[in-house]
Amino acid sequence: MLVNIKIFWKLSGFFLITILLFLLIIQYIGSALNFSLAESIFDNILQFIFIIVLAIAVSAGFAWIFVRYFIYHPLNRLINGMNNLADKEFDFRLSEDEKDEFGLLSASFNDMASMLSSSMIELKKNRDYLSSILESSADIIITVSASGKIQMINTGAEAALGYRRFDIVGKPIKLLFADVKERDKAIDKLKYADSVVNFETQFKTKDGEIRDVLLTLSRLRNPTGGIIGTIGISKDITEEKRLQTQLLQSQRYAAIGQVFTGIQHSMKNMLNALKGGAYMVKIGLAKDKRTMLEEGWEIVQEGINGLTEMSMDMLRYVKEYKPKLDQVDLSDALSEIYRVIEKTAGNKGISLELIISSELPKVMWDARMIHSVIMDIVSNALDACAWKNYNGIEKPHVSMRAYPDENNEDFIIEINDNGIGMSEDVKSNIFTPFFSTKSRAGTGLGLSISARMIGVHGGNIVVESEPERGSKFKIVLPLSGPGKNKEKSNGQKSYGS
Amino acid sequence: MAKKVMVVDDDEKTVKFLTAALEENGYEVISAYNGKDGLEKIQSERPDLAILDVMMPKKTGFVLFKQLRRDENLKNMPVIMLTGVAEVLEDLDAESGDTHERPYDSLREAMRKSIMDMRDEGLVKPDLFIDKPIDPELVIEKVRDLIGS
Repeated sequence: MLVNIKIFWKLSGFFLITILLFLLIIQYIGSALNFSLAESIFDNILQFIFIIVLAIAVSAGFAWIFVRYFIYHPLNRLINGMNNLADKEFDFRLSEDEKDEFGLLSASFNDMASMLSSSMIELKKNRDYLSSILESSADIIITVSASGKIQMINTGAEAALGYRRFDIVGKPIKLLFADVKERDKAIDKLKYADSVVNFETQFKTKDGEIRDVLLTLSRLRNPTGGIIGTIGISKDITEEKRLQTQLLQSQRYAAIGQVFTGIQHSMKNMLNALKGGAYMVKIGLAKDKRTMLEEGWEIVQEGINGLTEMSMDMLRYVKEYKPKLDQVDLSDALSEIYRVIEKTAGNKGISLELIISSELPKVMWDARMIHSVIMDIVSNALDACAWKNYNGIEKPHVSMRAYPDENNEDFIIEINDNGIGMSEDVKSNIFTPFFSTKSRAGTGLGLSISARMIGVHGGNIVVESEPERGSKFKIVLPLSGPGKNKEKSNGQKSYGS
Repeated sequence: MAKKVMVVDDDEKTVKFLTAALEENGYEVISAYNGKDGLEKIQSERPDLAILDVMMPKKTGFVLFKQLRRDENLKNMPVIMLTGVAEVLEDLDAESGDTHERPYDSLREAMRKSIMDMRDEGLVKPDLFIDKPIDPELVIEKVRDLIGS
């Protein structure tokens, strides 16, 4: 490649000229002193040395001019250019007039400077963009040094906390926490991860006002991985919290309202009996009518019983449901329930039917709970029949069926009636405490208690119903017993129509 | 001759003590435990006044009431309705627009609808609503106001 180097030609040309000049000088001086180079080279050594020295001196002079003009100056310009770049003068460019290597070097220097300058512009743009994001973010963004001193806060932080940058930069970050221990707690969490997300805490503003925030804290590291501090981005959730509390409060009031309405609804039926019975007792005593006294007393007692039952129901509803498991023979359990209800159904003119699949497994469950659930649903079914105005050939009918589900994982007890059925509205509320469609009997707690009892057995109650057509309640219980499945929501489900 | 009062309520206790209270005050009492029987007895016995429970099997008190009002021979008979929500119904009657009903209470909602329907049909509303728990002495007083003793 040496031949392609243009400066080589310059050097060679210059060298040739120097030798020629050298020979010319020798020749000229020789002829002037009347001696030929060949003859007198050894004759007059002193003369010869003089000529040589003169030639070398002239050549050196030329060489110095060459180096100075062709090498030193261009190099100097390059160094100067580098210095300019180092001083961040990215617009500085070298002249590219030279056609030699220095010209090429200058050209590549200029290219490099252009690239550098455009990268710097890009970099600055990015930096400005990022810092404008930080700045304009409404969130509170604060960077903190490894020693816990505030390094930077954005406008969002200024606005939310009431501090100005110059008041707070350099101060300990703990100053901003309503409870200084909270900052340590957040930092403790960073021991196990590089960031803590949505840590709920409170900041204190300059005026001492408390703001609820969600703090996301991340470690800041230098390129070699050393910890240089933290960056915290916090969202002010004071307003959300306030609304949430308000909502919770109003929901609580609404729930209490519902409970009161429910209790009042149940109580008034009992009070009705007490009031009426008491009236009869009063008249019976005043007019000495023993029959009226006795009948009145009986009604009073019914009222007392109703209230007692209601208070027991309420107690049952709030207590913890822990099934006492025992191996239960389903056929026996269902037959027993059937015997209890048969008479009541008969009195109301309702036919009752029990269909048990031949292979009934023995299962682990709380016999008393299941008994109470079945009784509750069956008595609802009887009521649903009693309320319907049957005409034509249809007769009131309630059937109980017990069979293993197709998947062989669950066991199903199905209670069907052809009573009044339920509207969508009623159906979606039947598991709600104190919801009742019955004007007299019931506390409105029955089905919600039942659903919880089935829930603790790992099962659920599925309801299908259609107004005037009747209802179907399916109690689905896992054959594996309550242990395997966790309590499913509230153990209730209603779908279909 | 003693005035005749019809009591229709599916709650036996209520029928029992209302009967006792009315008889004690010199009225003759006929009773029924559901709306269907109630209508039949009213048609055959022609009482001077009917006390109807709202929520009853077979036929609700409102359905029965509407049938009475539509019947030329019975439409002028005074009717007292027993409810748990008389206060709300009175509010409604005062045409205060939407009452402060709680969506929870489907009974209330059902009754509101019935009253609206009745009003649309141009039927005369019940003469009186009495809330449960019922005070028998108050019932006697109101019956006396409506039909005398």
